[in-house]
Amino acid sequence: MLTRRTALLSGLALPALSRTGFAADPIRIGMTQPLTGAVAASGNYVANGAKIAVDVLNRAGGVMGRPIELVLEDNKSNPREAVAAVEKLVLRDKVPALIGAWSSTFTLAILPKLMEYKVPMVVETSSAARITTSGNPYVFRIAPTSEMEAIGFAELVGKYTPAIRKIDFLSVNNDFGRGATEKYGAILGAKGIPTGRVETMTPEATDLSAQLTALKQSDGDTLFITTGVEQLTLAMRQAIEQRVGKRIVSTGGSFPDALIHQPLPGGAHSDHVLFYAPWFPEKAIHPEIAKTYTEEWNKHGWEFAGLTEGFRGYDAVLTVAEAVRIAGKVEPEAIREAMWKVQIPGVNGNIHFQKEGPAGRESGQNQPNVYIVRLADGKTSLV
Amino acid sequence: MSAVLAPLLGWSFAAAMASVPFLFPDPYLLAVLTSAGIFIIGAISLNLLLGYTGQLSLGHAAFFGLGAYASALATLGFDIAIGFGLRLRLDPQPVWVGFLSAVVVAGLFGWLLGRLAFRVRGAYFVIITICFAQVLRMVSLNWVELTQGPMALTGIPPFALWLPGQGVVELTSKPQTYWLVLGVAVLAFLIVRQIVRSRIGRALVALRENETLARSVGIRVTHYLVIATVVSAGIAGAAGSLFAHYVRIIDPDVFLFIYTVTMVIMVVTGGKGTLWGPVVGGLIFGLLPDMLRGAARPEAQWIAYGLAMILLVMFLPRGIVPAFTGLLAGRRARVVLPAAAAREAAE
Amino acid sequence: MDQALQHLVNGTVLGGTYALLGIGLTLIFGVMRVVNFTHGELYAFGAYMAYGLVSLLGLNFYLSLLLAALLGAALGAVIERVLLRPLRGADIDSVMLAMIGAALVLQNASMWAWGGVAKLVPSPFDGMPLVFGPVSVLPLRLFVLGVAVALLLAFWFLLDRTRAGIAMRATFQDPETAALMGVRVAWVGTATFAIGSGLAAAAGALLGPVFMVSPTMGDLVGLKAFAIVILGGLGNLPGAVIGGFALGYVEEFGGGFLSTEYRDAFGFLLIILVLAIRPQGLVAAKERVG
Repeated sequence: MLTRRTALLSGLALPALSRTGFAADPIRIGMTQPLTGAVAASGNYVANGAKIAVDVLNRAGGVMGRPIELVLEDNKSNPREAVAAVEKLVLRDKVPALIGAWSSTFTLAILPKLMEYKVPMVVETSSAARITTSGNPYVFRIAPTSEMEAIGFAELVGKYTPAIRKIDFLSVNNDFGRGATEKYGAILGAKGIPTGRVETMTPEATDLSAQLTALKQSDGDTLFITTGVEQLTLAMRQAIEQRVGKRIVSTGGSFPDALIHQPLPGGAHSDHVLFYAPWFPEKAIHPEIAKTYTEEWNKHGWEFAGLTEGFRGYDAVLTVAEAVRIAGKVEPEAIREAMWKVQIPGVNGNIHFQKEGPAGRESGQNQPNVYIVRLADGKTSLV
Repeated sequence: MSAVLAPLLGWSFAAAMASVPFLFPDPYLLAVLTSAGIFIIGAISLNLLLGYTGQLSLGHAAFFGLGAYASALATLGFDIAIGFGLRLRLDPQPVWVGFLSAVVVAGLFGWLLGRLAFRVRGAYFVIITICFAQVLRMVSLNWVELTQGPMALTGIPPFALWLPGQGVVELTSKPQTYWLVLGVAVLAFLIVRQIVRSRIGRALVALRENETLARSVGIRVTHYLVIATVVSAGIAGAAGSLFAHYVRIIDPDVFLFIYTVTMVIMVVTGGKGTLWGPVVGGLIFGLLPDMLRGAARPEAQWIAYGLAMILLVMFLPRGIVPAFTGLLAGRRARVVLPAAAAREAAE
Repeated sequence: MDQALQHLVNGTVLGGTYALLGIGLTLIFGVMRVVNFTHGELYAFGAYMAYGLVSLLGLNFYLSLLLAALLGAALGAVIERVLLRPLRGADIDSVMLAMIGAALVLQNASMWAWGGVAKLVPSPFDGMPLVFGPVSVLPLRLFVLGVAVALLLAFWFLLDRTRAGIAMRATFQDPETAALMGVRVAWVGTATFAIGSGLAAAAGALLGPVFMVSPTMGDLVGLKAFAIVILGGLGNLPGAVIGGFALGYVEEFGGGFLSTEYRDAFGFLLIILVLAIRPQGLVAAKERVG
């Protein structure tokens, strides 16, 4: 796989070396992310990851001797605007392929439009199962579903001492949180680990004392928290205040980086299910790609923590670029067909789509990798 | 505008809008206009409350969202427990049933809110309407069995219409949906015009201008306010239904405050209490966000939007349509009888 | 029982901050008849100022809190001069729209300036909770509650015992007569809006270290502030304090014992209930339903 990638890049680079800059028209890739509004922080991370992937690819000669251009549209953290952004990208900018749209709701809102305009989309973050099971052949997801994540975690559950005997959940009240509660509960349940108490919180909530006080009453030994970075940090800090006293595991790729600089008191430690661990690029499946990505990111001086989410955009652009290369032409239908042949190394691991959903109308789903990072006293280590 | 000229101008404007798909067959333009059109219908309905009764409802997205959910649920069907071991079940219905149930459900909630909220006025009314939308948002978020909560209702069927000679057809092409939205907008406009010109409208304006006086001459204030709210809510529900079958996914975000703000700014910009105000303001604020796209970075687009709101309110407090007709009437007043001009300006 | 005690403590701590939020909003409404949609954004502004002063400039924590509140008051004064004064006498909806526009501008300006990533404000307080039998509370939380109570008292003193306060209350009750009595009503407007904004910014600066600082932190807070002042009766100052604590307890006990899913809905449901039964708010106001 490594040699294949290197060959691809050097092969592409050769024609470009003979001239300075590109004469050909750029290949446009459309992307919609929440750049303003409630979840803008993550959306901007993913968009940044995509931008550096475009830089890296163009420096290596682009695709088919043509440079890649990222057309980025804000979906304003709102499903209606997600649809508006896609209509603009497809109808006005005429992009042949899309990347989007962070939240499951935004992605689900776009799905009927993909069918209508017959344009493929790489889904980089959304975890809702329905995205790939509803029979939309234009969807190719590189992000893991909650179920895949839970299975990945369950394989490592034996490493815990004292063993995990009973679990509680504190989940954000949306697709992401509810999906994780359901899948982790079911898969760990099958391993003989029952679920105690489940509490939810609205995405905007900052005071979680009522939930944590209630969770304290449960006799579970491990608390699974599923939400965005910000709320995760709040929950962990407030868990100390409420003396919840359980092992904390966060899911879904969120990492409370603020706690590296301001560690929780009392020697508390926590585990985090991540898809890229930027502290250990050498432990990634393809260390050289992870290193390129991490170095490029740091060159821009962006927040280090963003690396844990930015890779989604990076891998998504690599995927689309590879599909365009295989297709050999910049046409939506050809790119859609080529998606099935994509087989490249990414920051998270190998990217390759398997069929999912009703026969004849399958969506593509990649099998990503899961890392568990332990945070103790402001220091990280790989579990 | 004179009695002959105004309808003529109105119908020619509607005809011009109807011919847009022929003159500019750009699908992006039609998509933007369709989306704006749905909110213009919402703005037309809001104008009945805000413009003619003077009551600022900042929970108008509640009716819009209720219509969207009612329509989506009727066309998708549902099967829920309603307590005492009973179940409520509905098989999927055709889209027109969804549309009607959107109007009815939103209208019913309009009646409820009207009975409740018109006990208070001014800022209290404003905040109670905000709370109303918030509570509905929480319910839609957490009544997962019915609404799928944050997982959203997906797979909502597109519009379908019975066309002579073709039976029931799904309207999926851009011009078709555009014309449908335009048709509903014209209908909403005519309904509001009819009400405004009726006894109800005169009663509403009387109580907007001076509630105490209106009460003293025996106008049943709450009665008329509730009627206006029901009609307004029903039309907003219709707009929500169009939205549901256009976007084809509904989640609790349809109750977002920003949707209400969009409708309010459309009405105020165009001129509240004028029939054409929401249409003019709606076209401006419906197209503005899409014109701003790409013109500046995302935060700057929002800042421009916010500044536009502030500047319009400060420099055109009565809105564009009254300013324009005022100008027109001012020029003609020398020729026409002053009284007629004054009456027109008031209209 | 232990759980109920802990909820009581949490509710008190939360209620104190809610009271602080409510009082600035209700003051502005009472004196100026303006529903201040920028309240949540001023809260966020205060939090960002605290972050900037403590984390970036390395100033003393307590001094930073004071400066953040003063900067918030200054921003409020600017908003009043630029936006509200020209709109005096305009309809309630024109003013509201201008304020909503201002809120959009402020929120997105702070997103532009600070980025979307949430920030943590360091505080000199130890992160370990103080434990009293079955209940625990962070020292930082107690400090916030203490400052909130001190601010509420200072504020009461200002209104009740000083000339400025008397001018404000006079304007509150009857602007025209107040003007005839020699009160400079325009000046009172600026001062009131600045003080209300300063209180919102103070709340943000105080809560920044407790929670996190992000550009959209004002959204939910703005809505909650409305809930608080409606509960107490718009323009009713003791009502805002009572409304703040009422909301804190309702959320805490409702969330703990009924449903966390509806935790944030309880406040709004309570309002609809209150308005259906007692439209003038929990605390009887002298006047005004209309």
